[in-house]
Amino acid sequence: MTTQTAADQESQPPVVVDDDSEEELHKLLLPNINDLPISPPSAMESNFVTYFAPDFMKPEHDQYIYRHANGLCVIGLAAGHVAFKDEGVVTAVDFNVGKSNRSEIKVTGKRKRNAQQFEPNTALCKVCTNHAFYIVRCCVKGSLLEVNERLIKQPQLLNSSADREGYIAIIMPKPADWHKIKDSFITFDEYKKLRHF
Amino acid sequence: MADDDVTTPAVDDRNPAASGDAVTEEKKLLEYAVQELPAHAVKELISHEVCVRCIFRLFIIHEGIYALISPTILYSIIEKATEVEAVTTNSSQKSEVKSSICSICLGVMQFIYRDQTDILVEKDHAADFAMLVAESVKEKYHEIASFTLEVSLPTLITENESVILSHMKKKYASEVWFQEKFSFEHIISVKDALKLSITPSLETLLGVKSSVSDFRIRLTYEHVDAPSAENRMGKNQCNKRIKSGNGFVNETVQSGDVSDFNFQLKKVGQPCHMILTCSTAPVYIGGRYLKLSRNVSQTRWIIDDERKGEASVEELIGENILPMCNGDGYKFHAAGREDIDVRMLGSGRPFLIEIQNARHLPSEASIKEMEKKINSLESNLVRVKHLKIWGSQGWSLMREGEAEKQKQYAALVWISRSIKDDDLEAVSSLKDLKVLQRTPVRVLHRRSPLDREKIIHWMKIEKIAGSSQYFLLHLCTQAGTYIKEFVHGDLGRTQPSIGSILGCRTEILQLDVTDVKMDILNE
Ligand SMILES: [Zn+2]
Repeated sequence: MTTQTAADQESQPPVVVDDDSEEELHKLLLPNINDLPISPPSAMESNFVTYFAPDFMKPEHDQYIYRHANGLCVIGLAAGHVAFKDEGVVTAVDFNVGKSNRSEIKVTGKRKRNAQQFEPNTALCKVCTNHAFYIVRCCVKGSLLEVNERLIKQPQLLNSSADREGYIAIIMPKPADWHKIKDSFITFDEYKKLRHF
Repeated sequence: MADDDVTTPAVDDRNPAASGDAVTEEKKLLEYAVQELPAHAVKELISHEVCVRCIFRLFIIHEGIYALISPTILYSIIEKATEVEAVTTNSSQKSEVKSSICSICLGVMQFIYRDQTDILVEKDHAADFAMLVAESVKEKYHEIASFTLEVSLPTLITENESVILSHMKKKYASEVWFQEKFSFEHIISVKDALKLSITPSLETLLGVKSSVSDFRIRLTYEHVDAPSAENRMGKNQCNKRIKSGNGFVNETVQSGDVSDFNFQLKKVGQPCHMILTCSTAPVYIGGRYLKLSRNVSQTRWIIDDERKGEASVEELIGENILPMCNGDGYKFHAAGREDIDVRMLGSGRPFLIEIQNARHLPSEASIKEMEKKINSLESNLVRVKHLKIWGSQGWSLMREGEAEKQKQYAALVWISRSIKDDDLEAVSSLKDLKVLQRTPVRVLHRRSPLDREKIIHWMKIEKIAGSSQYFLLHLCTQAGTYIKEFVHGDLGRTQPSIGSILGCRTEILQLDVTDVKMDILNE
């Protein structure tokens, strides 16, 4: 119960925004610096749940699956992938695998026309280093919405930021398919332990 | 005619508005008019339970329809002229004649009906009925500028009228009076007769003129058991039949005058139900709103019974304006929108509230009152400014304005290294920067995958005292630019981004809209 009476409340002048007050606006915009984290979570960390598929189909073929709250999955190479081992440097990315060139499929419309339905083991691309090449796979069953075409011209994005600008593809799984497969993946913490990061 | 018939006390009592003199005058006019009516035809119409006003209607005697005289006296006038004595076998008493439901108008011109609460209402004449209508209107609507009267009638009325008319034609076509006076085209329809008879009284009682108006008074007469309605609907015939058993439909065949005509005429023992409804054109109240919370959605947002955010701009404004207009509901329109976690500050965003069926058109003072009320809500989540009444053009104005606007934002940004003085210059030197944005991952599930070019008109970094990695980014962009993605780059799917310009990892923690540039609702 509040002890304030109606009369008390009325005696308080209503808070009025001064339309022209730049100062007022500025006060609202400026954060309290003490409330801010020294290093804030990244957009990836705050908007996605991270899953890992270590040794996917082949030893040390580690991939990540970043799942957005909207259900879309960003697929890429995890830090422990064999391509990054022993001073390995990615030199090329080739989406021309399987029956079609993955980078040539143009998905259109809200209903994602032309999107190909892929299985977890379907190949997305071939990542080449100076010594070898590795097949990157879908990891989840679903519609392939896009592949990261920038990797064709800038394969080094995989070396500098495989977990951001160096992502491989975006897949939209059906909720049921996702629930079936997600338990086969491990969490970031489990992955760190596994690869001794 | 003798005076003693005129001064029936009941008339003066029931209708204080009509003075004795006026009644005498009307009566005289009528007596003159009825003299020319063909007595035998009138007699026959009465025998078919056609009411006096319908008889006047068919013979185009306006005085008879609009006279403020009770049916009893109307009958007495017509009886004298046509020497009708005992009217029909089953309605020989005057009182019965008066209350038997007309076979054509189903009581509409007799001002007999059942109201919304199923109570039988019976009024002597148009002025009395108009009084009821006016009272009912005034109960809910206090300020009207004018009105349009609309009447909806059961089709049975038209059907029965045409049965009677074709019978008359068959029987009397050869007679002189029929050829001279009877004209199907000029007959006053029940609808017109009703409208014309109550409109003058309504104008007086409501104190406004009848015209093409946004305010509509609608009288809907329904005869639930009308056989034609039953045929039309097809379904639910069982239900209808049960009601017929209650005596709603009473198809009588009168002995001695059996003809096709009597079989075709659907006589009804019960009056119609009448529903009175009023409606107004929507009232538009527009202005600009500020959203001070990162947990308030623009519109009511409920998914699976669960509300997103603690409130909505739509409701905070609508629920406070609606009662002050005494309307039935409201619709909220805004020029564009911001995400739930984005505040709307500074200029505010133009919006329009459409109040449906407003019974109260707020004055300038009460608009100010609304503004004050919303702005002093304890929750302090939303504020409004420049509130005013808009015409119906407000909505299209808002659409037009939306297409051309620019928006100004303030973003709280963190970068993965310390801010350098060069950064400030690097950013502020970019004018009308073209940015290519692929549909952001966060909305890609429901939007088309597309590359869109947007323009960042200008940017400015404002350092925050005490921090080397946080800053406020002020920017003005073309409408439709995804700001969050322009800052963090969205996996490189927005090019360039603040991250790519500064060459480091960039994160956005907060976003506020500080200005929505539109030519409307600026003051
Ligand atoms: Zn009638």
